[in-house]
Amino acid sequence: MKQTVLEKTSNWLLILLLSLLCLSVLYPFAYMLAISLNEGADAAKGGVYLWPRAFTLINYEIVLGNSVIRHAYLITIARTIVGTIGGLLVTLLVAYGLSYKGLPFRGGILTYILITMLFNGGLVPFYIQLNNLGLLNTFWVFIFPGLFSVWNMFVMLKFMQGIPEALIESAELDGAGPVRVLWQIVVPLSKPMLAALGLFTAVGHWNDWFAGAFYVSRQSLIPVQTFLQQLLTAQDISVVLGSNTNQEALARGSQMQNITLMSIKMAVVMVSALPILCVYPFLQKYFVKGVLVGSVKG
Amino acid sequence: MWAKVYKFRWQYLMILPGVVLLLLFNYIPMAGIQVAFRDFQIGSSIWDSPWVGMDNFAFLQEPHFWTIVQNTLYISVLKFLFGFPAPILLALMINEVSHAGFKRFVQSVSYLPHFFSWIVVVYILQSFLTLDGGLVNQLVTKAGGEPIFFMGSTEWFRPLVVSSSLWKETGWNTILYLAAITTIDPQLYEAAKVEGAGKLAQIRHITLPGIMPTISIVLILSIPSLITVGMDQIYPLMNSANQEVADVLDTYVLRSGLQQGYFGMATAVGLLSSIISLVLVVTTNALSRKINGEGLW
Repeated sequence: MKQTVLEKTSNWLLILLLSLLCLSVLYPFAYMLAISLNEGADAAKGGVYLWPRAFTLINYEIVLGNSVIRHAYLITIARTIVGTIGGLLVTLLVAYGLSYKGLPFRGGILTYILITMLFNGGLVPFYIQLNNLGLLNTFWVFIFPGLFSVWNMFVMLKFMQGIPEALIESAELDGAGPVRVLWQIVVPLSKPMLAALGLFTAVGHWNDWFAGAFYVSRQSLIPVQTFLQQLLTAQDISVVLGSNTNQEALARGSQMQNITLMSIKMAVVMVSALPILCVYPFLQKYFVKGVLVGSVKG
Repeated sequence: MWAKVYKFRWQYLMILPGVVLLLLFNYIPMAGIQVAFRDFQIGSSIWDSPWVGMDNFAFLQEPHFWTIVQNTLYISVLKFLFGFPAPILLALMINEVSHAGFKRFVQSVSYLPHFFSWIVVVYILQSFLTLDGGLVNQLVTKAGGEPIFFMGSTEWFRPLVVSSSLWKETGWNTILYLAAITTIDPQLYEAAKVEGAGKLAQIRHITLPGIMPTISIVLILSIPSLITVGMDQIYPLMNSANQEVADVLDTYVLRSGLQQGYFGMATAVGLLSSIISLVLVVTTNALSRKINGEGLW
């Protein structure tokens, strides 16, 4: 088909607009990377846009040499692993149990679960309950409250209802109990959905700063995002420089007077963002599927 | 009956942890709402605290509270006005890309910001807007202007909130629309081409009507969130310089309750906003029944 001049120009305009959009997403990371690889005092003069002008690794040496940051990383990794595996397991078991249509009181249990989506006690009563349970200032405050996700449960339930009943019935005729049916039939068939929900749960744990900021006060329990949040409002670099084990880098840094709060901040944020940037391309096929399973109403 | 229950004992055992977790983290806090009518101090028991009637609702007479309500509505309406049409527009644009590889690339890149926390987004804003060599202020000075302290400005707070949430979520929110577009029968477009309809006419008469059900569902689902504006985003952006426009209901509850210890008052504020959002959800559900023929649950 012939294209008119108008269509051709509008096509190019479209490509231009979308390219600008992609640039607006990607450029900030390139910019922050350049600043973090540049001497701080030099970057503050301006003019560093894409490539470091006075290249240095000192910011990263200081950030990675900081025992608080390293420890915060351990907390984040631990809560992401424990929270994701535990959360998927608990939520999967509930969804599977409720997928039996003949279960007595099934409607009542579903209503009990649904009500929590419509109404909640609010932040303060929740906080008081965390206090009463003795969860405040423990690692488990990151895990237990989010272990059962009602939203994910409904997504799983909806997905399981799409599994042909004949498949489950024939396994039951062969003498398989509900636990065997779950592991040998339902779980293998649900893998893409579990991967998507697991990904969302993991990202939620990785990115959560709120629990670390308000439910724990011991510095040894804060995750990376909470550390970032505290650093956001920091007035000077003592937050990062204190408790630094890399004394040699520290000495060099202060001698050259070339580290600034901003350059350190950029290094910290790059260290927290890089893992997501690295795994993102490999996980993409899962999450689009996950969003779509979740959106189709049952 | 009990024989039947016994037959499903494994299923009940599987459901039990979920039921217990909801009891601990949802239902008991609901019972804790009575703190709104008591004089509660942390460390004492809720049940032993003295009743104080409506004393904790005294904030309703403070003008400061109404400023906060106003701030909340202002931000949520602005976010809705920009955030609702933007993904529809972007999805239509992405759909018009004929090169499959470029299309996939644009999709991948535009979904990316959704996976970063608001903290990271605020760092990006800081790096571009800082007075010490930030890119934007460099451009401002080059153009002959005075550097602007964007992060601590009452005028710039709302534009920053709206633009950063557009940056973070627009791409992600196209997923539903793009999926809806793929379900449209391609023969419709063929027929339109034969009739001589241009691209814009095709969008207006085929694509838009095709995704209308999705648009109306997304519209309905966004109504209940009008009362919550995303504390995850607001709290890291707020500071003492912009607080008069930045303070919203969620941050008010957080500050007065968890930070200053006014548990009763903060619970009362939380109770009011819970009730409003419940009313919004129920209304929305009725609306959805009327328009789409089925409710949300």
